Amino acid sequence: MSDRKHADVLEKISTGIEGFDDITGGGLPQRRTTLLMGGPGCGKTVLALQMLVSGAKQHGTPGIFVAFEENARQVSANAGAFGWDMPELEKKQLFFVDACMRSDVVKSGAFDLTGLLAALEAKASEMGAKVIVFDAIDVLLSLLDDPAAECRELYRLHEWLLRHELTGIITTKIDDNKPGTAQRYGFMPFMADCTVLLSQRLTDHVAMRAMRVVKYRGSPHILNEVPFVIGPAGVEVGATNGVHPEPQPFKERVSTGIARLDAMLSGGFYRGTNALITGSSGTGKSTLAGLFLEAACRRGERALFVSFDENARDLVRDLASVNVHLTPHLKSGLLRMEAVRTEAAASEDHFIRIKHLIAEHHPDCLAVDPLSALVKVGGELAATNAAERLIYICRNRRITVLFTSLLEGADMQMETTPLHISTLADSWLQISYALHGGERNRALTIIKSRGSKHSNQMRELVFSDTGITLADPYTAGGEVLMGTLRIEKENAVRAEQERKRHEIEQKRREVELVMAQRDLHLEAAQRDLRNRSEDLDTLKLAEKTSTSEQTQRQDEVVRRRDGQLLRDQPARAKADGRKPASAGLKKRGSRL
Amino acid sequence: MSETFHTGDHPHGAYVFRLYLAGGAPNSVRALANLYAICRKHFPDSHRIEVIDVLKEPLRALAEAIVVTPTVVKVSPAPELQIIGNLSEEDEVLRALGLPQKETP
Repeated sequence: MSDRKHADVLEKISTGIEGFDDITGGGLPQRRTTLLMGGPGCGKTVLALQMLVSGAKQHGTPGIFVAFEENARQVSANAGAFGWDMPELEKKQLFFVDACMRSDVVKSGAFDLTGLLAALEAKASEMGAKVIVFDAIDVLLSLLDDPAAECRELYRLHEWLLRHELTGIITTKIDDNKPGTAQRYGFMPFMADCTVLLSQRLTDHVAMRAMRVVKYRGSPHILNEVPFVIGPAGVEVGATNGVHPEPQPFKERVSTGIARLDAMLSGGFYRGTNALITGSSGTGKSTLAGLFLEAACRRGERALFVSFDENARDLVRDLASVNVHLTPHLKSGLLRMEAVRTEAAASEDHFIRIKHLIAEHHPDCLAVDPLSALVKVGGELAATNAAERLIYICRNRRITVLFTSLLEGADMQMETTPLHISTLADSWLQISYALHGGERNRALTIIKSRGSKHSNQMRELVFSDTGITLADPYTAGGEVLMGTLRIEKENAVRAEQERKRHEIEQKRREVELVMAQRDLHLEAAQRDLRNRSEDLDTLKLAEKTSTSEQTQRQDEVVRRRDGQLLRDQPARAKADGRKPASAGLKKRGSRL
Repeated sequence: MSETFHTGDHPHGAYVFRLYLAGGAPNSVRALANLYAICRKHFPDSHRIEVIDVLKEPLRALAEAIVVTPTVVKVSPAPELQIIGNLSEEDEVLRALGLPQKETP
């Protein structure tokens, strides 16, 4: 009873392929059969092998790989290209069975899989295998060349897997043009508990891989088609559809590289968030992206610049012309620049590439310029999906991201982004051309900035050889002035200031002049005063002098009178006359 | 655990076959009978059949890259030839062995 119950409970085993586990709600059904179907070259073998390898590597689960189409050695060697250590794994956990039929084999009459299954049974029990892959079962079935026989052998295989409680992975090619396939593939999904359809198609001349879980018995799963790529580390499935990253509180601010823009955003972007800069061609989105990363490097942070369609050297040169110098940071290794040609691959491949770059470089800040390039090839839905996952990854790693997105035509007015990323973006800055007064000027507006106060002003973005900044806001008649009008306004303001300064200076000079004049007057008056006082002294002296002279004269008069009286005695009179005169002066001086 | 059927005394130029089969499975039983009949008819004096039961020697089948049962390998004369199936289509076998077929159209 309990055994029965155990068998009924669907257990899943992780494939180690994150996205695949997501769409299947946990991985492959354990002890059941999974069918991987798809056209030629769509990645069935790699996917099956990767499931086997990751089981062996992560859980030490032994497994067997039966190769019906490719030479087993070849399969193992190809796996080495993905960095899987096949020689080591083949020592213990993995066993490859070369079930590739010789090309010159002759068929005569009916045959079956009894022998092979007996052999595999022995091998499986010898190594304790839990998982077994039958790769390209269609090759074997084609050889049977009889629908009834095909069904019989598939049934035999299915029974065998169930009996031995092995987790089976069967891959098969689908060729719609080949007769008989419909019947074959009608039966196959019946025996499988989980069926995954792989496809590869050209969209805008770019090959896109996608997979879809067609059925999963007893388990909910994502029915949508999800993109996948075969990257340097094997299959990567992009499948966080509808899974939105948990918003985390971020406190730290990261500078945009423009002090005035930081001020408008109340300090910059929050660390670990993403910002979107939209604008039409030539508005300077790349420049802002460069500036943002330059600022990061200056703070000693690691930065990654992913540029679509513009090569790194040109970008560095262009940025240098507006005083944004990336070369030193490239040399120091803080900054890594990767130029990617959009047409070269599908959006999913670009996503994987960026993901790997992030894993390699560990950036604190990332710029993708422009993200909208992803849409150029392979369709919008896939690109949006890739962009969403990129945002998710960056948020988890606390990478502050600046995406740029090109807006063209009518979109410019509508303020929508081709990827609808604007709804996912934490901050959204829009650079537009303001047409006014016969000029196009760059105007920057913050459309949104989650969780922070931000300026609602439209500001002119000014690029010059000394750098990039936002001009002071001037408004006139309810409009923000830009370009020449702003310069005129600035000039007018400057002239007004100059005029006022002049006016004040003139007044000051006038006052100074008056003061100087007053000083002069004061000096003159003082001099006059001094002169007058001197005059007064002179006069006083003169007065004294005249008094003494009068006395002298009086004396003389007296003397003369005396002389007349004493004419008879002249010699004595002379001597006497001098003596009394001198004595008289002395007496007056003391009295003064 | 193989059985060998010898017929005739001409080891040189003899036809040597190795038959991989799965115990008493219908196709296997039929293959053995058909192979025996062909040999008796076409090389009555110079043939040898080695029978390998995959159920008894499963790992040998893996080592020798035997995918389906029954499989007949013509070991000699060279070149080696592999025939799969219960050998019910005798013409195919004869054509593969380079022998004249029963009925020529």
